[in-house]
Amino acid sequence: MRVSDVFHYSFSAIKLRKLRAALTTLGVIIGIAAIVALLSITQGLQTTITDQLQRGLSADTLIVVSGSNALGGGGSGAGGFAGDGIGTTSSSTRLYLNYTDEINALSSDITTSLALIQKAGYIQNGSGISRIVTTMVGVDFSEYKNAYSTTFVAASGSIPSNPSINVIVVGARVSDPRLNGTRFVQTNDEVSITWTNNTIIPFKNMTYTARVSAILERIGGFGIGGPSDTGIYVPLSQAEDFFGTNEADMIIVKLKSSDEATINRTSKAITDYFGDQVSVISATAVQSLLTTIFSTISLFLGGIAAISLLVAGIGIMNIMIVSLIERTREIGILKAIGMKSRTVLYIFLTESVIIGLIGAAIGIVSGWILANLVAIFLGRGGIMGGALTITPILTAEVLLGALVFGVGISVVFALYPAWRASKLKPVEALRYE
Amino acid sequence: MEEMFMAPVVEAIDLKKTYMLGKIPVEALRGVNLKVESGDFLSILGPSGSGKSTLLNLVGALDKPTAGKLSIDGVDVSTLNDNQLADLRLRIGFVFQFFNLIPRFTARDNVELAMSIKGINKSARTKRAQELLETVGLKDRINHKPAELSGGQQQRVAIARALANDPRFLLMDEPTGNIDSKTAREVLNLIQSINTKGVTIIMVTHDQRLALEGKRTAQMFDGVITSDLEN
Repeated sequence: MRVSDVFHYSFSAIKLRKLRAALTTLGVIIGIAAIVALLSITQGLQTTITDQLQRGLSADTLIVVSGSNALGGGGSGAGGFAGDGIGTTSSSTRLYLNYTDEINALSSDITTSLALIQKAGYIQNGSGISRIVTTMVGVDFSEYKNAYSTTFVAASGSIPSNPSINVIVVGARVSDPRLNGTRFVQTNDEVSITWTNNTIIPFKNMTYTARVSAILERIGGFGIGGPSDTGIYVPLSQAEDFFGTNEADMIIVKLKSSDEATINRTSKAITDYFGDQVSVISATAVQSLLTTIFSTISLFLGGIAAISLLVAGIGIMNIMIVSLIERTREIGILKAIGMKSRTVLYIFLTESVIIGLIGAAIGIVSGWILANLVAIFLGRGGIMGGALTITPILTAEVLLGALVFGVGISVVFALYPAWRASKLKPVEALRYE
Repeated sequence: MEEMFMAPVVEAIDLKKTYMLGKIPVEALRGVNLKVESGDFLSILGPSGSGKSTLLNLVGALDKPTAGKLSIDGVDVSTLNDNQLADLRLRIGFVFQFFNLIPRFTARDNVELAMSIKGINKSARTKRAQELLETVGLKDRINHKPAELSGGQQQRVAIARALANDPRFLLMDEPTGNIDSKTAREVLNLIQSINTKGVTIIMVTHDQRLALEGKRTAQMFDGVITSDLEN
């Protein structure tokens, strides 16, 4: 029998049981749509986060934090985020503000390094009624400007190089939290900032009053070490005094080059110097960690979606067995007039291929539509107040994979019924009522 | 090639078939000897349980004998595997009591199906199906489905299908058993006219009168052929 005739025959069998075939196909559609939607959203999210991280963490920058268990110190990847750089210094080596000189001296690859004090706290505006929880960063303004010349930029006001002590710089979303023009603080406003000192018992809220000298340009993203839309920047000398510490929560190291060799060499020099008690985070390490995380997420979500496809596969098997029983006599006739067992097998498998193909095609389209709907919903402020916009990405791999997987599952689950159909003895099949 | 043509269409020598009914062996055929030459019209007559259906299944290459020799169109059946048996069946035209058409197919598609199994291309198939359906008198029923045809018409479609691949012989199982007597006569006339054109026919029946429509009748009883006479 010719391939086209097998297709024609299989199709006529499917057409005869439209509703049943449609329901079976629906199972495949749901499975494939779930896979495509979840994977394209994850992929989109990965791209978004990677982009934003790259903005916050430039490639020629290393972040040194205390603790040995941050992302792979040597830049090789795995490991977890150590604390978050906010006052969680463990009993291991502490970083002090003046370590920058020592770090600078470690390698000629280093342009400069600067220390950051980071504390969680909140800011109250002049009216004193509402407050915004934020991250307070003590940093040397002029060095920070040098290191982050594209992001530590004032949208209004100006960033003083030699600030007087009661001056602060705020991120765009501290000034305009909902990004709708309703200002929480403006330049030259008097504000009070508060942090909770948990190094003394009982904990004590420490507050001081400052004047907003600049509001940063909107950056988007969420960098480590780099300026952020939700941060408040306090001159380093004031921060030392205010937070009562000379410990650095992180030290940012600027390199002369962003090539991997330089990053790895310098990272190693720093960790060696501190006896492996610090972690060096680089953009490449973060990126490789992100890739690992997202492939795990993809695998996990894809796996869940795949389960629904397995269920669909069982549905296919079920319908094929029913169909086989109903068509026993038909198979007997076909064999009596000369059809080979092999051809009977092909006919049944082709039916499942048709169901799989149609299901996968519709599933891919509906999964893509679903992903975009979800992205629109999230973009409307679902997560992070709309700070994170996701554009779903459907890669060729996912597209092809979904197609192959959909058809593959259909075929695999049709194998047994098809095999049984092909093995029917013509004499017995013809006798079947 | 020459020799193949000379060989009888069907030749059975001491043919035996034993079924296992549970654990009990049932000897359905106990040594059948039969020879059908090209152009013959043999009726195999016997009551139910005589083994005629078993013989039909063997001669139709649907099943293999337990012992004895059976050659169909010069081919020894016992040496064939499933695939080769299927190929052999392409050379046999089956006509069943219950027509056994595919209900979702039109008359033409049913006839074409037999040819598509053989791998004949669409245009040749369509042309031949048209001709065959005209031959069996269904020119204006070509696009009807079995449910839209009478019993006699369905059997004509079945005969057209059986003839589609130019078989070495037609194998009929009670071809008029499910048709009213008037229509049955027409179908029989058709069968006889086909035989006149040189197509060998083997017909299985329990009906003495029907058996006499053939040229020769082999009487079966209890798994053996008890008489084999010209009509």
